[in-house]
Amino acid sequence: MTESDPVLGRVVATEKKPNTPHEFHFWTALDAPVGIGTIVRVESARAVGGVLPRIYGVVTEGFSYTDLQTPLHDVLGADGEPGASANAPTDRTEIRLYTAAVLRHVPEEPLQPVPMGTVHLASEADVQVALRMESYVQGSATRGIPVGLYRAGGTQAGVQLDADFLLGPEAAHLSISGVSGLATKTSAVEWLLSSIFAHFPAEKGRVAAVCFNVKGPDLCFLDQPAAQLDDADRAIYDALDVPAAPFADVQYFAPWTAKGGQLATLRSNEALQDNVQPLTWGLRETLQYAEVLLNKDDVDAKADALIDFIKERVLDQVFTDELLGAAHEVRTFSGLDKWFYEVIRAIEGRDRGDTWRTHHIATIRKVRNRLSNISTRCRGLVTDDGTVSDLPFKAFTDRTVYVVDVANLEEDAQDLVFARVVSQLREHLERRDLGVEHVVVFVDELNKYAPADGPDTYVRKMLLDIAERGRYLGLVLFAAQQFRSQVHRRVVGNSGTSLYGRMDPDELATPGYQTLAPATKARLATLEKGQLMVRHPHFGQAVFVRFPRPAVLTGREGVERFPPAAELALDAAVTRALRRLDPAITLAWVQDAIALAGDNEDDILRARNRTLQAKPDDVKAFFKAQLKKRVLAEPARRGPSALRAAPEGDPYG
Amino acid sequence: MTGRTLELQREPDTPPRLETAVPVEGSDITARAIVEGPLVGFGAFLDGIQRSTIAAHHGGVPIVHGAVAAAIRIRAGRRMQVWERPFRSHACYLPATALDPAFVAALSARCPVVDTLADQELGTPTPRHPGDLAARALTAGQRAREAAEGSLAEAWTRRGAAPLLMDGGMSGRETVARSPLVVGAVKTHRTLYVAGESLDVILGLREGERTTAMAISSPRRTAVATWYLRLREPGARGPLFGLVRVEIAHDDESSITARADLVSRWLLAERTPVALPDVRWDVMVYGIRECEQYLSAILP
Repeated sequence: MTESDPVLGRVVATEKKPNTPHEFHFWTALDAPVGIGTIVRVESARAVGGVLPRIYGVVTEGFSYTDLQTPLHDVLGADGEPGASANAPTDRTEIRLYTAAVLRHVPEEPLQPVPMGTVHLASEADVQVALRMESYVQGSATRGIPVGLYRAGGTQAGVQLDADFLLGPEAAHLSISGVSGLATKTSAVEWLLSSIFAHFPAEKGRVAAVCFNVKGPDLCFLDQPAAQLDDADRAIYDALDVPAAPFADVQYFAPWTAKGGQLATLRSNEALQDNVQPLTWGLRETLQYAEVLLNKDDVDAKADALIDFIKERVLDQVFTDELLGAAHEVRTFSGLDKWFYEVIRAIEGRDRGDTWRTHHIATIRKVRNRLSNISTRCRGLVTDDGTVSDLPFKAFTDRTVYVVDVANLEEDAQDLVFARVVSQLREHLERRDLGVEHVVVFVDELNKYAPADGPDTYVRKMLLDIAERGRYLGLVLFAAQQFRSQVHRRVVGNSGTSLYGRMDPDELATPGYQTLAPATKARLATLEKGQLMVRHPHFGQAVFVRFPRPAVLTGREGVERFPPAAELALDAAVTRALRRLDPAITLAWVQDAIALAGDNEDDILRARNRTLQAKPDDVKAFFKAQLKKRVLAEPARRGPSALRAAPEGDPYG
Repeated sequence: MTGRTLELQREPDTPPRLETAVPVEGSDITARAIVEGPLVGFGAFLDGIQRSTIAAHHGGVPIVHGAVAAAIRIRAGRRMQVWERPFRSHACYLPATALDPAFVAALSARCPVVDTLADQELGTPTPRHPGDLAARALTAGQRAREAAEGSLAEAWTRRGAAPLLMDGGMSGRETVARSPLVVGAVKTHRTLYVAGESLDVILGLREGERTTAMAISSPRRTAVATWYLRLREPGARGPLFGLVRVEIAHDDESSITARADLVSRWLLAERTPVALPDVRWDVMVYGIRECEQYLSAILP
């Protein structure tokens, strides 16, 4: 013991309250700087095997009591007047008794009950040892990812996660839980991504993040500096060696609005459009994940067989059939609808049975009905004409955040985006051609996508698969949810690292939190913003840390500083979109150009989309050519003759 | 060492009795109300404890192990802490002359030995009854405790800075008995000090009343001033409930009234916190109980 390492307390044990190898008790002075979450070191004076044991623990419970045997004695002493007790010349003998959960024994063997000894506040070096961090934060090949700052009684120590256990391959995934608004889930993930980008070792490969913005403007301004970052925040950034700066490389993807004029995102201010791209998919991209949009009632075995047939025999190839006459090349939803029309018309016209290639006409009608309205249900995301604007799979770049803004999409469309993006990430990571070796996928409201109960959806199955096998691929799930208990246990169970912000007391009463001491639960229920409880495979017990405000503009501040663009007229919207490719384009030029298309807004939007997809050198000429094609083709368009009405009682009609 | 301590088994060795005392505030013993309210005056509390157990028998002779501790607890900021160093000792109490000298010598090599027959007059027969011998050991231990308390009280009279309340009488040592810094509080009343027909006055005191101060003395003790003070209303609990006898130095009779009132106010102020769950809570102030608890914790 030295002056700088004073004795904080003494270990005590009684027959009724003995110490064990995983828990011990100690008392301190009344004014000792100890609280729930404080990390302490026990020094024993009795050698075991020639070594003086050191035990590290984290305070999980605290007790205070006096020598009063019953409250009635105090009533008697004060003559029933509560104020009289305050005038007593002597304070009763009082104790501060704490229970600590063992973080680590040094040496590890033999594992014995915690001996009697002196208790000291853990120093910075102690925290490293206590949390078993020394194996990955010391030496030349470090792989620590700072998650926050541990502070107690004057000690300040960085708490770091092991990159191998956060991003794989040893373990992976992160789950963050807490009540909305106060738990700082989004902030914590933004901070942690900054930390990962700053500290993930280069020799372990490149890393990127895909974040799904599921509500409001939460993730819309990750490339903009924070409006307010105080000295305390900056001190944490400095202490943990993470730059207090917004993300340098962020790309935004958002579908068009239903009208198609603008992107459906709150990041629509003209000053921020450089890195915002449309997210649109055609038939091929959508049909692969049709299961996401079609529920079990829709997709029975027969319908499934027909969809598979279309995917394998019809889509993106020349399809011929003696019944249909002309060849079909289906590449768009409109092409698919035309193909369905021809098939049904041919079956209805031949008068020999209601089946074609083993598919009953009722099934064909049903599948047509369900597939055809996908482009309606997912309007803005799914295009009739097959225009595709997608994430740059195969060209992901290191330390880049890809934000997919699905906040304005319907639930089905959100599911589709989620399923396809994650599946594509997985496929490319399997093929090692994504462009990076590790991808963090951040999904908020996980209890919606992977609920503990409810239907076994495609998205849930996919999330379970990622949770269980993603770490081998480098596909890492950062999942946020208000109620961890409502997320599928295989997802949370496979999260190597768990963060907890302020928790709902009812949630803390669920069985998943039984291992936490009441005082720890009480602290969790009252955590301030910027505080987290962290569980990590290396840590013997959960520890509390502080993290700084993210160095990025919050969603709320972002929409104040960069107000979303007002709904634009079609010509203005097209002008704005095309100016990203050619700043010389003016509104007058666009107005002249689109005059060719008359009032057909679909044609104008189609021409814009194709221009944006092609990114031609001569934007003006390309755009005009797209318009001209449609305009010239118009006289040849002929409306199809009406099909027979569906039979009465046809459930799919 | 097993079983109850000798202290718990001990039967009172003196019958209840009345002793005569001389009033020093006028000629009669009367009840006097303490008009002014309680006042915090004590800065320290002194108590001692002893534990005696029969460790073994040697040829029917009980070998008593006795441990003694005494301490002064000072009050700073309403919290108690030990003053200087507490006194702790232990010894084997035995009748050396009744035992094999070789045995006594062997024992003394391991533990201090106190001969319980050392002050026996020459020529008197050596007691043989084990109960008698154990009682003598107990008395010897009691003397050791009183000596420890006396030493600490003396030290306080030299280095202490505030009034000290000691548990029990203070007349055993002259320096202590004459010190203005020391007050004794006697909780038991096997001897009641009366003057004339004053017993009814003492037993009839109401809460917050004291008797006239008296002087008491004995050949082996220094004279002190004393009075009875009722700390708590007895109700139906008996005439001795809440009754303490207070001792202070008997020096200036002209100021005795003022001093007795002041010290009584100090004692009345110590009624809270109540010393429960101690069975003597009606007459024990919390500072003494806290001191006793402290001694119990440090005495092995």
